[in-house]
Amino acid sequence: MRPAFPLGGVARIGCVACLWFAVHICLGRGAALGQEYDPWQPFNRAMFAFNDALDTYALEPVAKAWDRIVPERVEQSIANLFQNVYTPIVAVNNLLQGKPRDAAEDVARFMANSTFGLVGLFDVASCWGLAKHDEDFGQTLAVWGVPAGPYLVLPFVGPSSPRDVVGYAVDSIATVYWFFADIRFTVGPQTIQVVNSRAQVLDAVRELKSASVDYYAAVRNAYVQRRARQIRDQQEGTGPDEDFYRIEE
Amino acid sequence: MKYGSNAAACVTLRPRGVCLFLALGLLYGATAKADATPREVIEQTADAVLAVLQDSTLTGEQKRQRIEDIASTRFDFDTVAKLVLARNWRQLSPEQQTRFKEEFRKHLSLTYGRNVDQYNNERAEVTGERPEAGGDWTVKTRIVRPQGGEPIRVDYRLRKFGEQWKVIDVIIEGTSLVANFRSQFQEIVSREGPEKLIQLLQEKNARGEPLGQGAGSKS
Repeated sequence: MRPAFPLGGVARIGCVACLWFAVHICLGRGAALGQEYDPWQPFNRAMFAFNDALDTYALEPVAKAWDRIVPERVEQSIANLFQNVYTPIVAVNNLLQGKPRDAAEDVARFMANSTFGLVGLFDVASCWGLAKHDEDFGQTLAVWGVPAGPYLVLPFVGPSSPRDVVGYAVDSIATVYWFFADIRFTVGPQTIQVVNSRAQVLDAVRELKSASVDYYAAVRNAYVQRRARQIRDQQEGTGPDEDFYRIEE
Repeated sequence: MKYGSNAAACVTLRPRGVCLFLALGLLYGATAKADATPREVIEQTADAVLAVLQDSTLTGEQKRQRIEDIASTRFDFDTVAKLVLARNWRQLSPEQQTRFKEEFRKHLSLTYGRNVDQYNNERAEVTGERPEAGGDWTVKTRIVRPQGGEPIRVDYRLRKFGEQWKVIDVIIEGTSLVANFRSQFQEIVSREGPEKLIQLLQEKNARGEPLGQGAGSKS
């Protein structure tokens, strides 16, 4: 999900925020699985509650209505479309991470899906064996050795970290430049994307809510685990470290 | 790997409800052969669970019940409970440990068991396996959804107890359930103590949290 982002403000707030974050990142330390580094928890919990309320009273009802009207396959096609638009950014990030082969594959995917896939509505590239990659600038920064810093929940955006905020801002700006489009023209599509994405995870979110004793901590952990696995490109063997499964009697 | 016409759904977050259920459901099942390899354990169980799910003569409640009855043959709940509490485990008195295990188990069963009604012809297949440090074993599977969308990767971590391999963690799309619960419980235990955690689980279980009416979607 990549919701709308007011760009002018981001640049300014970003600079101040970066400084502030930099200090905290220096103080930060790697968090063992199951105990994320979360020194800003009071702020985060407040933001989380705000986002959750926003979701419960605005986004989820809209997404439910959308989900009732729009068939599942159409939802998928809309998701494909946005995914396709974002593919050039994935390619650039793959290049920046030193993976030219993956980047080339992304370019091929983009060309295939934009033409034969009808501007991306259908992911024909995957059917032809061109693998999809999941990259963003936050991951690129991680590959370059930038630590995530503390867990951070942003209003409207959700779970993040100082590193991912920077990555997110860079990706968002790059996406807009790619479009050569004014923010006024991207708000509509982005709203559709947010609603559509939310509609696709109605069950999953409900499930996570009911399955967790502490919803905040469950989401935080899921986010941290997900980012870790995206950064290592889904490779095996680097999951939870071995002490994780040791039982001390 | 064969793709359908609607192959490779491309969403950042994917619906996990049914998958979570299948993931756990996979573990519930038939007779355990004593010397089965980890892979066989998972395969046999997958078959057995699908048989239960596809049995139209059973009501949802019966399926759930059947699943509950045999859950313990595939999971080692003792180990799961200890892993989930990690170093906090020793803070609990033996009596608290027993109550925690009971409530946690109930929580898993209530949360995931009710998804039997959402079963929509998903299939599970083993895609690989690998040994882990310390003698554990991981069996990799994926759940294929005939209605389209990308398959969901589910890994099972097994440990050998006597002659039998039992599951000690389920890792869905790379997210370990044990790690996720550990994070939640760590927070509660360190802030408010183990008794509070047991109490929270009890309250949640007592509510039973029935499925919301009209919630959910077509999946």
